[in-house]
Amino acid sequence: MKNKQTSPPKLFQSFFRWFCNPRILDYIEGDLLEEYDRRLKESGKRKADWKFILDVMLLFRPGIIKSRKGYKKLNNYVVYKSYFKIGWRTLIRNKQYAVINIAGLALSLTCCFLIFGLVTHHLSFEDFHKNPEQIYRVVTDMQSKTDSYSSGVPTPLAGLIRENQTFATKIARIYTESNVVITLKQENETLQYKETDGVAFTEPEFFEIFNFPLAKGDGSSLLTTPNTALLTEQMAKKYFGEQDPIGETIWLGNEQALKITGLLKDFPDNTDFRAGIFASYSSFKTYMPWLASENFWSGISSNMQCFALIDPTVTSAQVEQSLAYYAKEYPISDDTKSSYKVQPLADIHFNGKYGGTMDRSNLWILAAIGLFLLLTACVNFVNLATAKALQRSKEVGLRKVMGGKRSELFWQFIFETGILVSLSIIMALIASFALLPTINSLFNTQIILQLFSDLSFVLFLVGLTISITLLAGFYPALILAGFKPIAALKGKLSLQQLGGFNIRRSLIISQFVISQVLIISLLVVMEQMRFARNADMGFDKEAIVMVNMGNDSLHLKHALKNEFMRIPGVEKVALCYNAPASKYAWGTDIQLTKSTQEYDFLTSMKLVDEDYLATFDLQLLAGRNLTPSDTVREVLVNEALLEKLGINSIEGALGQTIAVNGGNMRGPIVGVIKNFHDKSFHEEISPTVLTSAGSFYENFAIKLNPNTGKESLIQIEQIWKKNYPDQLFEFEFLDDSIARFYETEEMIFKGVQLFSFIAIVIGCFGLYGLISFMVVQKTKEVGIRKVMGSGVGHIVWIFGKEFTRLIILSFLIAAPIAWYLMRNWLQDFEFKIQLDVWTFGLALTFSFMIAILTVGIQVIKAANINPVRSLKTE
Amino acid sequence: MKDFQLGEFEEIVILTIGILNNTAYSVAIKDEIESRLKRTVSMGALHTALIRLEGKSYLKSSAGEATQERAGRPRRYFEITALGKKAIQHTKDTRDELWNAIPKAIWHSNLAGI
Repeated sequence: MKNKQTSPPKLFQSFFRWFCNPRILDYIEGDLLEEYDRRLKESGKRKADWKFILDVMLLFRPGIIKSRKGYKKLNNYVVYKSYFKIGWRTLIRNKQYAVINIAGLALSLTCCFLIFGLVTHHLSFEDFHKNPEQIYRVVTDMQSKTDSYSSGVPTPLAGLIRENQTFATKIARIYTESNVVITLKQENETLQYKETDGVAFTEPEFFEIFNFPLAKGDGSSLLTTPNTALLTEQMAKKYFGEQDPIGETIWLGNEQALKITGLLKDFPDNTDFRAGIFASYSSFKTYMPWLASENFWSGISSNMQCFALIDPTVTSAQVEQSLAYYAKEYPISDDTKSSYKVQPLADIHFNGKYGGTMDRSNLWILAAIGLFLLLTACVNFVNLATAKALQRSKEVGLRKVMGGKRSELFWQFIFETGILVSLSIIMALIASFALLPTINSLFNTQIILQLFSDLSFVLFLVGLTISITLLAGFYPALILAGFKPIAALKGKLSLQQLGGFNIRRSLIISQFVISQVLIISLLVVMEQMRFARNADMGFDKEAIVMVNMGNDSLHLKHALKNEFMRIPGVEKVALCYNAPASKYAWGTDIQLTKSTQEYDFLTSMKLVDEDYLATFDLQLLAGRNLTPSDTVREVLVNEALLEKLGINSIEGALGQTIAVNGGNMRGPIVGVIKNFHDKSFHEEISPTVLTSAGSFYENFAIKLNPNTGKESLIQIEQIWKKNYPDQLFEFEFLDDSIARFYETEEMIFKGVQLFSFIAIVIGCFGLYGLISFMVVQKTKEVGIRKVMGSGVGHIVWIFGKEFTRLIILSFLIAAPIAWYLMRNWLQDFEFKIQLDVWTFGLALTFSFMIAILTVGIQVIKAANINPVRSLKTE
Repeated sequence: MKDFQLGEFEEIVILTIGILNNTAYSVAIKDEIESRLKRTVSMGALHTALIRLEGKSYLKSSAGEATQERAGRPRRYFEITALGKKAIQHTKDTRDELWNAIPKAIWHSNLAGI
């Protein structure tokens, strides 16, 4: 002990310890040391060392070497049982602490699970095909004045590739038409369904490229004859119930019959092919002859897509090179330069350029959010755990005195953290499965969590448990295990041992920066949404229902209009092409007939009858309304158009003749109407022309009495059905369709709402942890101050000023960030609110309120504690 | 009487423990054997023998005091059990029997042969 040199060779000593049976280890080691000691005195260190090594080597024999099984495990089991018991008792004793820790962890874990589900779902898109790395989509890049990209190619291209090129072992066209009405004609009734996912016209090779197996039907002859189709099992069930669908007929729209020749197994969720009906490609020639024409090079529909299975020995650059020939030989138009590219299957879901729905970077941002939430929860855990560390100092001291090693204590606390983490994971699992349907419908996502069938999720769970346990448990365990036994038992541990205060502060500040940025964003988004929804759009949108017309007979349109007018509760009816604000817009060129000047802006054309202005309460500034007519005779214009045309006086515009739609619609301006919003607030008000043209009317705009709206609507439907017996009655309230302009904003709003809620809750846990820590640290200070005559208010302020400082500091960081983010977001709106001081002030007040609510009770409790008690604990 | 199985080294170890009486712990046993029989005993061999003998219940052991030169490791003192005593007695008896059965003439002729 006194002399370091007297110790035997370390390496061999630890080797001996390693192999020796622990039951006899101490005795034999004692012998070895005694012998060594004696030899050292007799014959010097070198010889003693050699003899020691020899002894150890001779001890390496059966009987001395520990057996591989048995002893060690048995002992560990008991130890873990005791760890578990102690850990559990600690949790039960500190219920508040346990609840806060578990709730905080469980909350962020729930988010993590949901984000994990979302991210893996999106990353798994199209991963179930046979050779996914060989499947490509041919896409088109176009260059004219601006660059544009299309997921489609000209119709004939695929045929030419199939005939003339060798790089594609298989190639297939698919044209997907969404929003199709399907008619089923049964013996006594006609059923109609609107299929939003639509019908896909496919060449048979499509099913050789992709792995969409058949459930029923003859694989070799499918989709080769015109007017045949495959249904997915789900569709078949919807149309025919349990009945065998093969051989049955469905009608596309009302005209084209399709015979069902086979059944496809339902598609998995992770594919972008969503159609449930696959018709043979030859049927497409009847459905849309102009696009199906093998000579149609002059246009591209993004729905006409071409997939190819490419020979693995050919690179995509080589393929694109050989495709360049077709782009040159068959140009789309004179001033457009196009080139064909091949897009790997794995890119299709993510590349927004070609209509991909989920940008990869969004997924990474989400993953980062998940990780961040987890880290903050771990940090909060560390905060709370170290604040509570002093309570366990006696236990640590006693364990050490009884021979507990530092490493054993370390693992004990890690184990306790493990218990907490496992509890939170279980809670988070329950919560995420319970919340899954809500979240999916709220954000319109398809998050799928499969607990047992999905190996990656199980691995994720295990990995998460271990890493959180180590992350959150490491620091507190290190501190606890490092207590000096004498100091710990005497209760003389200083708080310096509990770790830096500034680290805690900066963590709290960063949490508060995030929640304040989110709160400010929330307020701004909320304001803008309210503004967009409640602002006067320049026309009446309440209680107006747009009803689709069934067919093109002008006579019937007028007859129906009159019939609707007779329904009690219907106030006004107008025939029109579309509503004042609609996603369907008709843009046209415009010319003033008295000059030859050409204008480079598009004019929005609204084809309406004479009751349109009254129905939508559009304001006429000058002139008069249109006179009843079914052809273009007179026009109304809006202020924006006059401005664009350079006409300054409203009166001066009246009487001028304008020509639109390539000159074939012309008439004098008889009135000017006040500007109204014809699109969302993202865009400015378009120059607009209103004129009558009976053959283009597609909707009845019906203003209902809000009190009797429902009954009127039922009567409208009855009349409509009587007149169009074989069509689907479709209608939409105008304010609903306008609200749909802001779907993305609505989603952002919900997202910000959710994340700010989570950030606030986690921030509160952080605050709670900090205050607990501070209270422990300042117990004596508070006691002394009270003895010296401090009041409660004064002591509350000791804590209060700390938090005030933290919140103000984090606000100073958060405000510019939020201002910058929100200014960018608002930039997308042509009509927007101003960012004002009040929003920021409100956010700050809100943060203060949260802070006060979180720490208030603790602070008051600390301030009211009897100084005798806090000082006596010495 | 094959129940009492004792190897040669085991017999020596038991006998030495008997000699040391109450102070028999491994190093002392080793020293005693080495000094009396003039043969080196390896720690490994000794401990294996002790473990085996204890396993046969010829010996019992108890932990003793920890000392400075052993760096706090306790000694382990060995004692011969009743069974152990019977076993060496049995060994001695069989040996004696064999000795007695040897005709005296052998010794004489051997001497004469020299």
